[in-house]
This record gives sequence, C-alpha cells and structure tokens, in this order.
Amino acid sequence: MEVEDLGHHISRRFNEDLERVRNMVLSMGGLVEEQLERAIKALSEGNSQLGLQVAEDDVKVNRMEVSIDEECSRILATRAPTAGDLRLVIAIIKTITDLERIGDEAEKIGVLAARLATVERPSTNYRELRNLARHVKQMVHGALNAFARLDTKGALDVVKADNAVDEEYESIYRQSITFMMEDPRTITRILDMTWMARALERIGDHAKNICEYVIFMVHGKDVRHIGVENIEAEVEQGARRLESRT
Amino acid sequence: MTLPSRWASQIAALGALLASALILGWWFGAAGWWLAGASLLYVVFTLRHLYWLDRALDGHRRVPLFETRGLWAEVFARVEKLRAKARNRKKKYHRLLREVRESTGALSDGGIILNSDHEIMWFNRAASNLLGLDQATDIGHRIDNLLRYPDFVAYLKQPTGEGITVASPRRETGWLHVQIIPYGTDQRLAIIRDVTNEKNVERTRRDFVANASHELRSPLTVISGYLEALGEGGDVPEAWRVPVAEMQRQAERMTRILRDLIELTRLESADAVADHDFVDVVGMLKPIAQEFEGKQGPTVELALETDAALLGKESELHSIFYNLVNNAVRFTPPGGSVRLVWRAAGDSAVFEVVDTGIGIAEEQIPRVTERFYRVDPGRSRASGGTGLGLAIVKHALQRHEGQLTITSREGKGSTFSCRFPKERVVFRSDAVSAVL
Repeated sequence: MEVEDLGHHISRRFNEDLERVRNMVLSMGGLVEEQLERAIKALSEGNSQLGLQVAEDDVKVNRMEVSIDEECSRILATRAPTAGDLRLVIAIIKTITDLERIGDEAEKIGVLAARLATVERPSTNYRELRNLARHVKQMVHGALNAFARLDTKGALDVVKADNAVDEEYESIYRQSITFMMEDPRTITRILDMTWMARALERIGDHAKNICEYVIFMVHGKDVRHIGVENIEAEVEQGARRLESRT
Repeated sequence: MTLPSRWASQIAALGALLASALILGWWFGAAGWWLAGASLLYVVFTLRHLYWLDRALDGHRRVPLFETRGLWAEVFARVEKLRAKARNRKKKYHRLLREVRESTGALSDGGIILNSDHEIMWFNRAASNLLGLDQATDIGHRIDNLLRYPDFVAYLKQPTGEGITVASPRRETGWLHVQIIPYGTDQRLAIIRDVTNEKNVERTRRDFVANASHELRSPLTVISGYLEALGEGGDVPEAWRVPVAEMQRQAERMTRILRDLIELTRLESADAVADHDFVDVVGMLKPIAQEFEGKQGPTVELALETDAALLGKESELHSIFYNLVNNAVRFTPPGGSVRLVWRAAGDSAVFEVVDTGIGIAEEQIPRVTERFYRVDPGRSRASGGTGLGLAIVKHALQRHEGQLTITSREGKGSTFSCRFPKERVVFRSDAVSAVL
C-alpha cells in the first residue's frame, strides 16, 4: 500500500474512519512514550512519587487500547475493508497490543524505580540501566515514527537496533550475577535492577514487533521470525516494487 | 463619442473596400456578387487575425504580423505588452518568494505551517533540525502523529496562552518551546524555539535560591535561639534591651522570608497541576479568620455563603487563603474592616477578600504579584510582610487552575478574588445527592 492510498477512497467517511483510528494509535503511542520517559526519570532522579504515579497512570493506556480496539471492530464490521485497508486495520489491532504491553512494562519500571529510590544508590547512579533505557526509548520513538510515516526503512533500523539492546541486557545480567556473588547484601537491589533491565529489553522486543507490522502493512509481507537479513531483503524488494509501480 | 484613430482607419478601410467593390461591380454589372466577395475577403482577413490573436493568447511567442500599423497591429502590440508585464510580474514574485524562502530558512526559530487538520503544509530548515522532520516525506502528515507528546497534542487542539514547552525529540536534555498562531482562514503557524539554555538558567536560578535558603536557615536558627535566650534572661544591660528586641524581630522576619522563598521555589519546581485531594474550605477558613480577629487592627469578618469544598492540595490552598488575609489585614488601618467571602458563582467558586485599606494605584496592580515588589517600600516593610505572599498566592492558584483578580481604588480599599474552576469545586449538596 502506498502512502497516498490512504487518501483515495470512494467513501470519504471510510477514509476519515481509517485516518482517525490511525491518529488514535499514534496518540496512544505518545502516551506510552511519555510513560516510559517518566518511569526512567523516576529511576534516574530517585523520585519514588513519580514512579508510583506512572504505575497509576497505566490505566489511561489501557483505556485507550480498549477504545481503539472497539473502533477497529466497528470498522471491520461495517466497512469490511480489503487489501491495504484490511492490512492497516490488522496492523493497528496488533500494534496496540504491543503498545499496551510497553505501557505495562513502563508501569513495572515505575514500581521498581519507586522501590529502588528507597535504598542506597550505586555510585554510577544506574548508568548502564539508563543507557539501555535511552536505546529502548529511541527504538520506541523510531517504531512510532515509522508507523506514522509508513517508513519501512526506518522500521528496519529499529529491528536492527534490537540486537544491540539484547546484548546490552545480556551484559547487565552477567554483571548483576557478579555483583550478587561479591556482596550478597545487595541482592535485593540487584534483583530489582535486573528486573528493570528485563522490562526494558521486553519493551525493545515490542518496539521491534510494531516495526514488523509496519512492514507488513506497507509491503504486505509477514516478516516475523525470519531473521534480520531476510527482513532487509524483503524491505528492499518491496521498495523496488513500489518504485516500479509509480 | 470619438473613436480611437485605429478604429476610424479600420472602418475607413472597410468602407473603401466596400465602396470600390460596389463601383467595380456596378462597372462590370454584378454589384451583389462583388459586394459579397469583398465582405468574404474581409471576414477571412479578420478571422485570420483572430486566429493569430488566439494563438498569441495561448502563449505562442512568434505571431506573424501582416500590418505594421492599424487596428490589428495595435491589438497585437498591446497583447504583447500585457504579456511582457505579466512575465515581469511573475519573475518578480518568483524572486520575492525565493527571498522569503531563503530568509525563513535562515531563521534560527523553526516555523511550520499547518492546515485545519493539523497537517504539515510547509516548514523551514530550523524546524526540520529541531524536530527531525524530513522535507521529502513529512509534508502532508499530521504534526501530532510525528510530535506525539500528550501535552502538545492537547495544546494543539486548543492553542491558548503562551505556548508549551516540550522535551526535544532529538537532543537528550534539550527543551523546545512551541507556540501556535492561527492566521488566515484555518491556517496555523507553529513557531518552535530552542529554550534549552533558558530552561537551564532558570533551573540554576531556582536551585540556587532553594539551596541558599536552606543553607541560610540553619545559622539563622542558632542566632534566633541565642537572641531569644538573651531576650528572656534578665541579665541584659538596659542599653541593650531595645537592640536585642529589634534583632529578635528582624531575625524572625528573616526566617519568614526564607520560609516563603522555600515555599515559592517548591511551588515552581513541582508539577504544573496540583493534586486533587478533598479539602474542606469552610473548616480551613474559620481558624484563619479567628487568628486575625483577636489582634488589634481592622475587624475581620467571615461570610460563608456556600459550603463548597475544593479538590486541591491542602497546604497550598491554606497558603493562598492565609496570605491573602494576612496581606489585607496588614494594609488596612485599625478601624477598617476586612471581609472574607466564600461564595458560589455558577459552577465555580470564589474566595474574596474585601478590605477598606489603603488600596493600590491602578498602574501597580499588575505588578503586585511579582516577588519583592513593594507598592510603598517604607510602609510594607514596617508592616512586617516578606514581599513574597502574593507571589506565592499567584503560583499556588495557577497550580489549581484558578484565577486571581485584583480590583482596587487608592484610599478606598482593595478586593482580591480567587476563582476556582468547576473541575476543582465540590458542592456539598451534590456530594450528598451523589451518596444518596
């Protein structure tokens, strides 16, 4: 589906419905991004109140997911979309599930940050966690940008970035084991840190999923579980196809 | 009516043609045919010129001219003139447009033109640098799809006030200020400014004031403690009795100023919106009124016209009410009166302090909420104020989405009224019916 296709429909109302639900997804994305941002801020500033606030605000994300879901069901039922439109609706339904999960992970991070704020902070002020968080945040941002622009190249970049995030998580995990063996008194704190790294790593995975839906939506190719190289090949092939058509 | 000469000559030529055809026709004996032939000739001649005129208007450059003078020559000359003029104008506009583009491109502030659906119509280089927009792909996209901060989206829907400050999407610790200005029919201009430096300076200033206040407080506590001991103990030489008492008063005043400064920085650095705790306003106003009633000075009267409660932060609301009453009492001479009114105004609720004090000159009203602003330096210092009370009121009220209105007449008295929006007000009767 080309970008311009969104604007060419016999029924104007149908168009508006699709456009509106797409906008809703992106504003849900904005909310999730903010939740993540605040959760990480709670960690780096040791602000337990902010952390708990993030956890509390997760209901907003959930509420948006439900209302977008309803809207999609309504479109499927009343408009019976086909081809590119159907792919758009399917991609949206899947995307909001992942966004909601990202929201849940942000909630977890908020609660963990609130707990970590009450114990002694390491001298690095969780530098490795903040680094991981920055990368993950960029992934989510990139995924939503790719969704907004229907930009498969951008989506591909995010998919590639996921490997680096996985590696970072791996190294935090190993480091944590070393710390716990060195000084068992820190186990509680280190466990919380590991949980938080785990939550961030999961967010990276969800961002990657969203990008795969973007590729599916634009090129009509399911690129899940086929490896980065194959995804890259599909994206290039799809881009060539689009070019030759215009 | 006088005909232009080109028309006169054309008509004369036509007349001559027809006349000669008539004479020749009469001579050869077929006047009708000759006349018809001459007319046909003229029609063909005119049609040919019309054809060329049409081509000329279509934009063909080379139009052959059969005449150098007369009606058609002049018509073509005029068409050519018009076209040259239009060409020049077009060139001028192109140049102008390019200059405008270049100059807006060179601006350090980002500019984006949006249509009524928030779709991006145009943006300059600074905007693409600040927000990470792409000239090739992003025209026609909705801006709230690319700039997704919930605060910004809310502002975009209702662009009121001074604009909004959001985190930079490209720089880790950057801040951007976005203001949206509607213009024309349904067009909007979004202006984006990098305010990272301002934000940092502001933060440094706030941190400095907060730290300085905290650091000053501990030595002051020690000084106040010893002064108090000195004042109470009887072994102070007679000559030092008055100075010690004065020192004690000034130390107290300093403590109050520091307390207010800390309160003010706390208000500034907290979230933009206060909590929504249930606060019993009536229960809060009664003790405040009692506290001021007993003292010498104006009479304090409390008029509770509603039993409405507020949703807000208790300590801040107390600070709003206390500071307003304190302020009114200090500027009202003994014998005057201060009236505290808590009333409903439609869906909202209003707290009013009406005094019969010295009043404020009109030009000074907008400035009284600035910190340390003194209407009359001598008098207010004598009255023991910190100069921060109204600044605290303003900030705390802003966090409750409230509005402070000040009306005053010099020598007659002032009215300070705080209006709380309906989202913050809980009327008891509603509460009761909600429970039932």
